[in-house]
Amino acid sequence: MSTTAETAPRSLSRRRMRVDGWRWTGRIFLAFMLLYTAVPMIWMLITSIKSGFAALQFPPQWWPDEPTLASYEKLLDPQNSVGQDFLRFFWNSLFVSTVTTILSVIVAVPAAYAFSRFSFPGRNFLFFAVLLRNMFPAVIFLVPLFILMRLLGLMNTHGSLILTYLTFGLPLAIWLLKGFYDNIPVQLEQAARIDGATRFQAFILIVMPLSTPGIIATAIYSFIGAWNEYIYAYTFLTKNDQLTLPVGIQRFFSENTTDFPGLMAASFMMSVPVVVLFLVLQRYFVRALTEGAVKH
Amino acid sequence: MAHVVLKDLVKSYGSFKAVNDVSLTVNDGEFVALVGPSGCGKTTTLNLVAGLVPITSGDIVIGDRVVNDLDPKDRDIAMVFQNYALYPQKSVYKNLAFPLQMRKLPRDEIDKKVKEAARVLDMTHLLERKPRELSGGQQQRVALGRALVRDPAVFLMDEPLSNLDAKLRVQMRSEIKRFHQDLKATIIYVTHDQLEAVTMADKMAVMNGGYLQQYDSPAQVFAHPVNMFVASFIGSPAMSLIPLQASTANGNAVLSSAEGWSFELSPRNARKVARATTRKVVLGARHSTIKLRNSAVPGAIPAKAYTVEPTGDVTFVQAFLSGAIVNISVPPNIAVAPDEQIWLEFDQERMHLFDGETEMALTAN
Repeated sequence: MSTTAETAPRSLSRRRMRVDGWRWTGRIFLAFMLLYTAVPMIWMLITSIKSGFAALQFPPQWWPDEPTLASYEKLLDPQNSVGQDFLRFFWNSLFVSTVTTILSVIVAVPAAYAFSRFSFPGRNFLFFAVLLRNMFPAVIFLVPLFILMRLLGLMNTHGSLILTYLTFGLPLAIWLLKGFYDNIPVQLEQAARIDGATRFQAFILIVMPLSTPGIIATAIYSFIGAWNEYIYAYTFLTKNDQLTLPVGIQRFFSENTTDFPGLMAASFMMSVPVVVLFLVLQRYFVRALTEGAVKH
Repeated sequence: MAHVVLKDLVKSYGSFKAVNDVSLTVNDGEFVALVGPSGCGKTTTLNLVAGLVPITSGDIVIGDRVVNDLDPKDRDIAMVFQNYALYPQKSVYKNLAFPLQMRKLPRDEIDKKVKEAARVLDMTHLLERKPRELSGGQQQRVALGRALVRDPAVFLMDEPLSNLDAKLRVQMRSEIKRFHQDLKATIIYVTHDQLEAVTMADKMAVMNGGYLQQYDSPAQVFAHPVNMFVASFIGSPAMSLIPLQASTANGNAVLSSAEGWSFELSPRNARKVARATTRKVVLGARHSTIKLRNSAVPGAIPAKAYTVEPTGDVTFVQAFLSGAIVNISVPPNIAVAPDEQIWLEFDQERMHLFDGETEMALTAN
């Protein structure tokens, strides 16, 4: 009796200390990671509201003496040439990314469903063939795809980019969605079919609503992939009025002496759609990631 | 309601035959349980009847139609699944309405039928809830409601009670039985629990390894199992099956054990044993037909008690005889201790005899 009474509180406090030690290590690590990701963003934001002269000062102004939105006004003004270019690049990126997203969802949903539900000859082979594409770095396909696009007469068109982004995005989208369909009990469809639905109706009325989070997650992945892509856009497009944002920003601003506040303002605005997407859809997104992982 | 006929039904996956030449008739309004251990083909058989899995060969008749190639939706069946398969995004009301909507009934009729089903199953207050907000028993009830709201020709139930806790299971068991009596519904019910089959069904089809072993009323299956599998599967605790050798001594048929003991057979049992293909015979005895003695009496066989399990109104004793486990039930006032010497008496009238080679029951005529 006496021994347990003596040892119990001591072991308890020792355990708490150990837990606290780990917890603090974790907190410090997380704080460091937060700084690591947030500081460049914050610096981007601060620089974007400086004047061109203030941006180049050393030691730097941690907070601009005269904050100004001049760079944003310039970029968003359709009257001057900088604004015209920026808005056109923005539109081009939006167009390419949106079409890529829509197409990849349209193709990935039935493909993933088929991989999940049907057994057909070569199913496993096809599924891994789909993934094989993702084992190689993107650059390897640059020259072959360049030649292919030229043969297809798609050089200098947005179609070339959409087609290319689909080859990157689809495997991942199919993989992600298949995990989703795997977790939807097949009995739900069977019940629907017995209740009077055709196989297609069972899919549309029962399975589709349940897989909405997965479809949203897939769509976000595709969109971000296409939105940020640089190297293919840089290679396939040469005409100034077709450039997408990543290439456009880089080209546009390095031609003259670099306007850092302008560059940062453009970069910031480029990140806005992605951030908005995340904020609006993060609820589904998190659910999607966990739902694919845990079987219940 | 309608009758269901399965004729030489086969389902194979590659070289593996999940269902093997199963033929049986379910009469109009009959409650038939498909029972067997897991992997015996009972659920596959049900899925074949439902049309969820295409048949390899044979015929399925529901009512007067051969439904072999019909879609599930055109077979006029309803099914209750083991995991209920309620549509998680729909409210209880919409779950119940779904089969009616799919059949394009007018909205006011749907409303009437859904409310009627909810009233019958006592869940009117749950109609607006989502399935995840219900308890297991309530979910089960909704699943049942979704099946009966449409008034189908046949109800198919795939282990509907196995996800419930023991108490609820017993309660739902009597509710389903009551439901069958009230509706005079044709029901095919799959279960691995022989007790469910025995208590609920008019007839039970015992399956093993894709084959139909026996199809008869529970009382018949219990009293006259056709082979050793059925004998050991139906009844709890299981029937004891003791391998013995048949021989003749002084002109009388005798069964003897490698352990040295033997006993003489009655004339009727001797006739049965005479029909065995070899000398190997298996003695089958249900726990309640074996008498346990604390001292030696003529004809009783010596054994050692292995475990003693009092359950309150009856005590189960396990012993080893000829290498087989023997279950005996005794009144609670009889004191037996583990490792104690006991003597067992078999009832000649109520014992079962099986051919040790073919495992089939031996009959006198």
